[in-house]
Amino acid sequence: MTRREWLALLSTAPLLKAAPDAPVAPVSIAKCASYDEDVTAKLAAMFDQLGGLDKLVRNKTVTVKLNMTGGPGVRLRGMPPAMTHYVHPKVIGATAYLMGKAGATRIRFVESAWATAGPLEDVMLDSGWNVRTLASAAPGVEFENTNGLGKGKKYSRFKFPGKAYMYPEYVLNHAYEDTDVFVSLAKLKEHADCGVTLSLKNCFGIIPASIYGDDAGVNDPNEKPTKGRSDVVHFGKRQPAKIAPPELYPGVGSKTGGYRVSRAVADLSVVRPIHLAIIDGVESMAGGEGPWIRGVRPVKPGVLLAGLNPVSTDAVATAVMGYNPRAERGTPPFRNNADNTLLLAEAHGVGAADLSRIEVRGVSIANALYRFA
Amino acid sequence: MWLAAVLGLIPLVHAEIAKPAAWVPARWPWADARSLDLLDGSPVNCLLLKSPPAEFVAAAKARGVVVLAIGGDPDDLVLTGEPGLPTIHLTTRRKMALGSGDPIIGTTQGVWPGIAPEEAGAHKAGPTSSVWIDTNTGFLRAVRAWGPATVWIANMPPEKTVITTARYLQAIADAAIIGARWVIALDSDLAARLDRREEAAMGTWKRMGALLDYFEHHPEWRTMREAGQLAIVQDPAKGGLLSGGILDMIATKHTPVRPVPSERLTPEALAGATMAVNIAGDSLNPEQKEVLRGFARGGGTLLNGPPGWKDPAPAGGAITLEKPELERLGDMWRDVNGMIGRRNLGVRLFNVASMLSNYVSAPGGKSAIVQLVNYSDYPVDNVTLHYLAELPRATLITPEGAEKKLEVYKTEDGWGVDIDRVSTCAAIRLEQ
Repeated sequence: MTRREWLALLSTAPLLKAAPDAPVAPVSIAKCASYDEDVTAKLAAMFDQLGGLDKLVRNKTVTVKLNMTGGPGVRLRGMPPAMTHYVHPKVIGATAYLMGKAGATRIRFVESAWATAGPLEDVMLDSGWNVRTLASAAPGVEFENTNGLGKGKKYSRFKFPGKAYMYPEYVLNHAYEDTDVFVSLAKLKEHADCGVTLSLKNCFGIIPASIYGDDAGVNDPNEKPTKGRSDVVHFGKRQPAKIAPPELYPGVGSKTGGYRVSRAVADLSVVRPIHLAIIDGVESMAGGEGPWIRGVRPVKPGVLLAGLNPVSTDAVATAVMGYNPRAERGTPPFRNNADNTLLLAEAHGVGAADLSRIEVRGVSIANALYRFA
Repeated sequence: MWLAAVLGLIPLVHAEIAKPAAWVPARWPWADARSLDLLDGSPVNCLLLKSPPAEFVAAAKARGVVVLAIGGDPDDLVLTGEPGLPTIHLTTRRKMALGSGDPIIGTTQGVWPGIAPEEAGAHKAGPTSSVWIDTNTGFLRAVRAWGPATVWIANMPPEKTVITTARYLQAIADAAIIGARWVIALDSDLAARLDRREEAAMGTWKRMGALLDYFEHHPEWRTMREAGQLAIVQDPAKGGLLSGGILDMIATKHTPVRPVPSERLTPEALAGATMAVNIAGDSLNPEQKEVLRGFARGGGTLLNGPPGWKDPAPAGGAITLEKPELERLGDMWRDVNGMIGRRNLGVRLFNVASMLSNYVSAPGGKSAIVQLVNYSDYPVDNVTLHYLAELPRATLITPEGAEKKLEVYKTEDGWGVDIDRVSTCAAIRLEQ
């Protein structure tokens, strides 16, 4: 199938009805064949295409959620995680530099690192990143592991304004509240449970394992988590620590990540809005979100994407991966029980996943197309 | 008269024979003098074979190579050479003459080092964990704690397995970073191809020689002793014999650890330690228990096993634990892991999931070495080392190239250096 044929098919495929009121925002795409290219210049051009970083970050605290899924020691064919399933430090450093140049007063990189509440810098070092270089990319760069209280004294509460899919309120690290701007810096990947993991799904990682983890306390958070969040969020085997309210509809829906994680992610995109979505698709992996998924392989899509609406950005990214962003459960990439997170977030009114409404700037989808399947 | 003159010259035409501590041993599958050509440029200088012919021994001797005849049972080998040379016993771990004063002690029992495969062929990895590395390093550390004897580990490559060059290099390095020597043993396929002088096999042999050379060029490393602030008190006849035991578990955290045999538990043995783990349990005598109490009174953190704890011992002649014992040890490990946390107990290493390390210090602490072995089939870029000792000069030493000065920078609790790439091995020399 040619690119033109594929795009034509996209426009005629039977799609879920789009939410007509959901907001959209332009999405910028740039080609970037390797991390040895001038990533900073490319990102600068992309941000300019979106209207410039200045008005978004000047004199602001910016919190950037990184995608560092899984432990840093788990690798695909021995490759550094940033070449397969973590965002690459060059993209992170370039983002910090540009934000600093645009006047951001504080740039806080955050992630709920796998199975630890230790310093995020340690996890970065274990990933082969030069933390000193990242820290010096701009004034006011900080790092925080949000898998627990971190550097905060108390957790922040994010109540869902209306009818949530999963939890009426999410209890998170302070960093997600103590910020003016929230950025999701994601990797262009498929996801075994949720179909794709882009700027929306990246924010599943803002949920702290101290409260929502398998070894979270029944009543109180466990500030030394050593496990993931599958028992609580993926499979509904237990409720979070009582500092957070239990899920709204226990027993409703399948107890799978495809059903539950997708919904939690859609909820999170409401309670913790994403102001800027950046997706690193220079090098990645296909077939899943991490090396622990059988059959994954390294890929080089050679693209960067950015947008001011995460649903629109993810819709364009999904199309760049060769998939229909409005595909329903059971249709690739939303295999098995995977509900389409983009559509769930769209239904929440976060943004539109309707390609016909989204303006793409820079490189076109057709020219950026890299089929993951 | 001329015969006496010639006989008098014989010692001169023989190359010098190294002292036992410098013997670099290999099981030798050939008995013809032509095979000795393989030793050109190789540090291997001690050949082990059954019934070596006299002419082979003489030809080897002319090269300065010692030949030892292998006798005894497969698991209880007796190596004998010409008169005046020591007899060496390569036996089971349990029968090793620890602390005997023999110049060389050794065993035939070892795991084949490398990243452990799962049954399905994939590595033991998941989102939850890093790879597990099969290693003899913990056992070798425990043996080295008994004294200065040279330690040989003479396990064979696994049968019916393709042994890559990288795996041979890992086997050499797994022993060498602890100051021991793996007795080179070639699988039958490599031996046959070497016999035909096939190019690829010769390449493997030369790389093995180059790695041996790398370690043999630094005899001072073997005289350094395990440093760091964590001591493990254990019964050498039990947990110390294990592979996959508590010492190897700690090694996966890259926490430097000093094994202390319970028989040698003195205040001096714990000098410089800030944490001690008593794996020996109730087997300690009153004096030994008092040493640990004194350590705790002096501000040291002491972790004892639960009441009634006994150091798990391998069943029969095994060197690894069965699942129930391993699970019991796992409970102890969780406590140890919790106690260590992310503390820097001498050195901390980052981006080393596929590696093992060893931290040794020269007497007086004026220099130290951090050894790294990479067990993956890929080089690892961007390794970071944080260390506590006031040793602000650092040099990278690798088998691949010349020594390289490293930039040393201050960290939260000491010093740091970054290493661009580790292929199979690297050593970082730290100095005042």
